Amino acid sequence: MPEIKVTPLGAGQDVGRSCILVSIGGKNIMLDCGMHMGYNDDRRFPDFSYITQNGRLTDFLDCVIISHFHLDHCGALPYMSEMVGYDGPIYMTHPTKAICPILLEDFRKITVDKKGETNFFTSQMIKDCMKKVIPLNLHQTVQVDDELEIKAYYAGHVLGAAMVHIKVGSESVVYTGDYNMTPDRHLGAAWIDKCRPDILISESTYATTIRDSKRCRERDFLKKVHETIERGGKVLIPVFALGRAQELCILLETFWERMNLKAPIYFSTGLTEKANHYYKLFITWTNQKIRKTFVQRNMFEFKHIKAFDRSYADNPGPMVVFATPGMLHAGQSLQIFKKWAGNEKNMVIMPGYCVQGTIGHKILNGQRKLEMEGRATLDVKLQVEYMSFSAHADAKGIMQLIRMAEPRNMLLVHGEAVKMEFLKGKIEQEFSIDCHMPANGETVTVTTNPSVPVDISLNLLKREMALGGPLPDPKKPRTMHGTLIMKENSLKLVSSEQALKELGLNEHQLRFTCRVQLQDPHSDPDTLHRIYTHLKSVLKGYTIQHLPDGTVMVESIVIKVSSSAEDTNTKVLLLSWSYQDEDLGSFLSTLLKKGLPSGLC
Amino acid sequence: MTEEEEEDNNSRSDGALHAVGWRRRKRRLLSPAARLHLSVLRGTHRWYKDLHVYQLEHPTQVIEWTSARTVCVAGYSPSKNEILELHLPLKIFADENKGLCAERDFKVVHGGFTDGPVRCLRYIPGTRCAVTGDGLSSNLQVWDLGGDDSDVIRRTGSIEGRRRRTGVSEGGSRIAARLLSQPQILHGAQISDVQLTELSSGQTLYQLESDSADPLSSLHFLSDTVFLAGCSNGNIYVADTRTSAAPQLSPPPASSGESVLWWTDASAGPDPSGCRVVRLSSSGQALVSDLRNPGGAVSRAQLDVQTRCCSPDNVRVSWAPVLDDCIAVSGFSGAVQIYDTSVWRSEPQEARPLFEHRGHAVSPEQSNDGVPPVLVTSHVWHPKRPRTLLSAASDGSVHVWDWVDQSAADGQTEAVEKR
Repeated sequence: MPEIKVTPLGAGQDVGRSCILVSIGGKNIMLDCGMHMGYNDDRRFPDFSYITQNGRLTDFLDCVIISHFHLDHCGALPYMSEMVGYDGPIYMTHPTKAICPILLEDFRKITVDKKGETNFFTSQMIKDCMKKVIPLNLHQTVQVDDELEIKAYYAGHVLGAAMVHIKVGSESVVYTGDYNMTPDRHLGAAWIDKCRPDILISESTYATTIRDSKRCRERDFLKKVHETIERGGKVLIPVFALGRAQELCILLETFWERMNLKAPIYFSTGLTEKANHYYKLFITWTNQKIRKTFVQRNMFEFKHIKAFDRSYADNPGPMVVFATPGMLHAGQSLQIFKKWAGNEKNMVIMPGYCVQGTIGHKILNGQRKLEMEGRATLDVKLQVEYMSFSAHADAKGIMQLIRMAEPRNMLLVHGEAVKMEFLKGKIEQEFSIDCHMPANGETVTVTTNPSVPVDISLNLLKREMALGGPLPDPKKPRTMHGTLIMKENSLKLVSSEQALKELGLNEHQLRFTCRVQLQDPHSDPDTLHRIYTHLKSVLKGYTIQHLPDGTVMVESIVIKVSSSAEDTNTKVLLLSWSYQDEDLGSFLSTLLKKGLPSGLC
Repeated sequence: MTEEEEEDNNSRSDGALHAVGWRRRKRRLLSPAARLHLSVLRGTHRWYKDLHVYQLEHPTQVIEWTSARTVCVAGYSPSKNEILELHLPLKIFADENKGLCAERDFKVVHGGFTDGPVRCLRYIPGTRCAVTGDGLSSNLQVWDLGGDDSDVIRRTGSIEGRRRRTGVSEGGSRIAARLLSQPQILHGAQISDVQLTELSSGQTLYQLESDSADPLSSLHFLSDTVFLAGCSNGNIYVADTRTSAAPQLSPPPASSGESVLWWTDASAGPDPSGCRVVRLSSSGQALVSDLRNPGGAVSRAQLDVQTRCCSPDNVRVSWAPVLDDCIAVSGFSGAVQIYDTSVWRSEPQEARPLFEHRGHAVSPEQSNDGVPPVLVTSHVWHPKRPRTLLSAASDGSVHVWDWVDQSAADGQTEAVEKR
């Protein structure tokens, strides 16, 4: 039976790294190659031994597809391609290709330089890995090889995030990566057409949440900023150049207008350049509103937000500063943090996840004394706020996506089966499809029912239609006679005569003859007539004719009577039938061997 | 040009006009709903310590605490509905390190499916059981809310109500639950129906003896054995399940009209006789009385509610478990109001709310084109946190909010009229 196999790589119940293997139509595909941010040892990498115990992965994988630039989806990519070994194609969208290496390099620096780890990929490895990347455009079908094709769809969530449709023959799989169904201030909502994949693969992590509204998160953010400004404090917001920074800037700008606030808002120059650069490149990836504004003027020319100069950090009075990098691990944001940390009137707002080893991570874990270079300690007296603005789908979102794509099966990864029973039941009930929930390392096999398209010759079609009967009904298959010809990659159904003609063969007719002896005192014609009457009473519903040339015909079977030369009471019946009437012919000969019943006239 | 825009133009240079023009364009990029929301935002960041806004797939008429951190909600559409047990976001409970907790979402910890609407849902304290009523008959459904080994809420049985020839009142049976040695359910649709059923055996332990067909609006346990039944015509009955004596009746004030409906809540206390009862009418009259003198009113007020479109299914009045003398009122509109009854007098006067949560009425989902107005369908107080409430509305929104007492915060005595 044709089947698709899906295996989420990972150990035990841990969530936090995405790497899924799919076997479809003889092709092997790796979806995402994430790093587990919670481990410090090899457990952070996916377990590639599932694919092969030793040696390079090139021979075992047809392609690798990365959904977006978050490290739990691409963090192990250089390790996989350069340290384990993979030389095949790696697919990702243009923005992901541009941003991935920056995040990977940052991550590498933190892990190796700051934490002194050794079994880790190098800068050169990141570069070599990215050379293998083939960028994807939205809604564009890419032929990986003769049989495998992939297509990227908009996923929302972060800049460049994609959901990917994978097709081999008539079997297909859609992998969602991380997505969200409600539009953001700067990103649209995920969208996919009714592609009806055999399997829709999605994370289950957020499937059982109901998200607090964006406006409440924003309200909280504005409230915290406002309170700090009101008491004369300074607010530091470390950001990565893209995405959230714009959103928060728009929010603050609007709020400053409404509340008529005067305190200055700054963003560091590194931010503007990078942001503008990327936005110009990837303008099609943001939502309609941003695109309209950007077309009219530059993204970062706000009325209240000005470029930052490092000397401003020492200015008295309240202010808000957006600075890179996002995890406070180096650069300007760290410099500003060091200056402001000692004052409890100040605040730092962390808008996202911070990797272990960074100052960001430490203060988010409640650490109030930090060891800096040269053994100096920094007392963290300012207020630390962790606010998550990342856009994820929730329970409602998953149902919406299923409604959009209409998959035949649903597959949820990264969830505990006991915690997913309700969602499974909900999906099964509402959509009448199976919902699978493999544990990490477990393979789910989904049987598919691919339809094989076959061309039918017009003659054969006409002939079948001429037979009459009820109209074709997919639920009631009807037998038809024809010959299937497979030439190259095409399948054709033709009538037998046409097939014989094409093959240059002659049709042979088979005819069977048998003699049955019968004791009957009547004359030959009378005996024939008696046979006719007998058969008419037994074989109701069959065409039985008594022909003037002295034969009885049952369908195509011919029956003749003649007397034996030795004895006129011994009749010899000659039965002759064609191959098509084999069954009936055999039946008749057996029947007539039994003789004629006496009551006949 | 608006006044604002003209003023802007006159006081700006050419370069800045460009910036202003862009600002105007950007403002227009906000939808009307977003603009409204932003204006509410401007004011409300001072009014709430916490505010969380959620959108369920289907609206609920019930919110019931099943632990200090979980609530049950359920749909009320005519056929199949979901019943969900939700865990409140961790951020609400992270008192010391609130800033470090980014968790703002509800978690669906258990879920199940019902065959009909859920109009009433009661959790049986000390168990993992809940009882629901569908408002169509006096029969109740019993559910197992599930434990650690499964996230499915399963129906485990049903309880039959007493049938009455006069038919069932709107809203079906009211339910109160308690755990003595065994879970016991007090239920009924009318006063004459009220009975106490033992859950495990289905045995009827007590039946209220009364011929009255007064439809019920609520049932409350005041102690292990004493209970209060509030009727929609304003009558209150107090009875003891140990005796078959006739219940004590206290009628509503004589001035109430014919078609006025009433709702009731009783404050639980160590001593049932010291219990305070609040009654609220569909014309906005509120009455506080003491069980020592149930017939008389201790204090009265005319509440500031819209009385035209209240549905008997939606109105709720409840005593605050922690704040003395405070009640919450909802169901008349898209708002939840908090009143301080300690300033009410024996002569009815207009009362203004101490706080009004209007979040449901300005939710962005609402549009202005002939869609019926959003009504709050339910609210509950948090059992321990003084100013934390949950409220749900007909558009499927559920809010968790912790309000700031403005009068205390500003050091002024603002909204509350003192004699």
